[in-house]
Amino acid sequence: MNEAMLAPDSTRPSDRASGEIRLVDVTKSFAPGSYAVKDINLTIPDGSYCCLLGPSGCGKTTILRMIAGHETPTSGEITIGGQSVVGLPPVRRGTAMMFQSYALFPHLSVLDNVAFYLKMRGVGKDERRRQARAMLERVQLDHLRDRVPAQLSGGQQQRVALARSLITNPRVLLLDEPLSALDEFLRLRMRGELKSLQAELGITFVHVTHTQPEAIALADLVVVMDTGQIDQAAPASTIFNQPTTPYVARFMGGQNVLTGKVEGQSGELLRMRTAEGWTFEMPAGQSPPAPGTTASAAIRRDRVTLRKRDAEGAVPANAVPGVVEATEYQGSYIKVTLNTGMVHAFVANVGDAAYAAEPVVAGDAVLASWLPADVHVLTKPDLGDAGVPYLDISH
Amino acid sequence: MKTSSGRRPWTFYALAAFFALFVLFLYGPMISVLVLAFQGPSGALDFPLRNPSLIWFAELAHPKGTGDVIGAFNRSLPLALIVMVLSVLMSVTAGFAFRRRFHGATLLFYTAVASLIAPGLVLSIGILVMFRFLDLPAAWYSSALGAHLSWALPFGLLIMFAVLGRLNPSYEEAAYDLGASRWRTVRDVVLPIVFPGIIAVALFGFTLSYDEFPRTWLTAGTKNTLPLEIWTMTTNVTSPALYALGTVTTIFSFLLIGLALGSILVIQRRRSAQR
Repeated sequence: MNEAMLAPDSTRPSDRASGEIRLVDVTKSFAPGSYAVKDINLTIPDGSYCCLLGPSGCGKTTILRMIAGHETPTSGEITIGGQSVVGLPPVRRGTAMMFQSYALFPHLSVLDNVAFYLKMRGVGKDERRRQARAMLERVQLDHLRDRVPAQLSGGQQQRVALARSLITNPRVLLLDEPLSALDEFLRLRMRGELKSLQAELGITFVHVTHTQPEAIALADLVVVMDTGQIDQAAPASTIFNQPTTPYVARFMGGQNVLTGKVEGQSGELLRMRTAEGWTFEMPAGQSPPAPGTTASAAIRRDRVTLRKRDAEGAVPANAVPGVVEATEYQGSYIKVTLNTGMVHAFVANVGDAAYAAEPVVAGDAVLASWLPADVHVLTKPDLGDAGVPYLDISH
Repeated sequence: MKTSSGRRPWTFYALAAFFALFVLFLYGPMISVLVLAFQGPSGALDFPLRNPSLIWFAELAHPKGTGDVIGAFNRSLPLALIVMVLSVLMSVTAGFAFRRRFHGATLLFYTAVASLIAPGLVLSIGILVMFRFLDLPAAWYSSALGAHLSWALPFGLLIMFAVLGRLNPSYEEAAYDLGASRWRTVRDVVLPIVFPGIIAVALFGFTLSYDEFPRTWLTAGTKNTLPLEIWTMTTNVTSPALYALGTVTTIFSFLLIGLALGSILVIQRRRSAQR
């Protein structure tokens, strides 16, 4: 047995082996001919907080369970800290998983739940209880050690589940929708606690969620998934500001997607024309699509300016005409939804000061315009076949 | 609960009367038997109760005119215990097997529970004929045991399927995640969680066997079980000793049920109360 295998059992953080996770061409199929995930290639750096984000059924939980050792990939390789883990049980991988409903053992006290791992390793009663108490003290639950899980609140159960996982001294902590069972207030608090815990422990966290704000708030690396494949894996700010596909742009919210034909390039600016005849420009970037091809671009909602429009005049470049469908007060800004005749509504998030200067109401004809710098080309054109789940969950 | 005006609708009284009648039918006979078991030496098989005494209980212990009650009990009790143990073992293991959806599971399930529908007396005749044909001796520990299992086992299976079907698989995954072997997972996690269900199976197995008449009638061989003995007594014993026997067996059954329910309660209290 080598060093890396022994490391998860050691108690000194300095001895901890690398928690870098690498998935190479991983495919999982539960029934012949259909894939839960297909050809996944992903590297999660050691000590990072990674969120797997996507709608239900996109395969994010399957990936998590394959890393945990609760599913075996149909093909492909998974390594943790450089060593292949396919076929190894969870304890030998140095992973620990926190289950969606926490899966605390209902017949055991909080203390015995936390001590379960040590009991399985044959640690004596006094010693394992001492260690479990120390772990409970870390999550500030030592005073509840004699309760059973049914007597705890959701937030307390989550912390017990954390303590039970962390006592295995893992190099990777896997969290399956850890916040979904909590109410809104508790969710925000536990979100903060998870983030600071990860920073404190310095181990790799992989967190599965279907909620965009959760992923953006927590993750160093956001992996956006769609029907068994990774659409984009990047830091949160990149995912939010520079989504590469129409799916990611829509799923993360905050972006409008326009699709058209590439007309040409003048200097640094690429010009596109939509089927409606509207034209707009954007920075061409590294590898712009060829003239004549269909391409899509994303425009940030909060960079759109609205002006009332009375005449049926020509539409200038970098603008779309529309009719206000709804306005929604959001505190610091007003979310204005426009009907432009396109499949998806066009949304402008207008700052409260700008809105006060020129308020619009439902039924108003307006022109939405923006600067080329706030647009960027997507790598895939929007052909209307990508799923559009949970549109507008985030504002 | 009273309505705000304080008047109850007539349906309340109608349903209350119906319920009272139901309770009377449920416990009336039992109480009659219990009271008449204390009939005096000169008393008859029905009311009134004259010179209350315990002589009929004494007669049970030292049979003169009555049948071999003690002997019947000494067969019924071990039979019920064997049926109980076998029901638990088979139901629990079958319950585990059926958690994985294997090929033909549904067919196998219906085959196993179909004997619930088969009429007991017919089954009893069938088993006897089969034992004769195979030239095997019919006795309480062979043919009657099989007949009782055909009755108790389906109930056990139904209970365990329901209990294990509701068991969240993530408990077992969590145990695996924490380094438990398959056997430790069963011993330390699954069995303690489903233990109340196991007690229910044991209780059903025991009482269904202990009380069973139709399936025992022809399969018990030459020696009677307790229900068969009581039935024989109703035809040829005309003394209140019958009531004394009824009282003793009823109390025995209640004690057993109380014991089982009590242990479930203790477990649940231990789980939910602060220790």
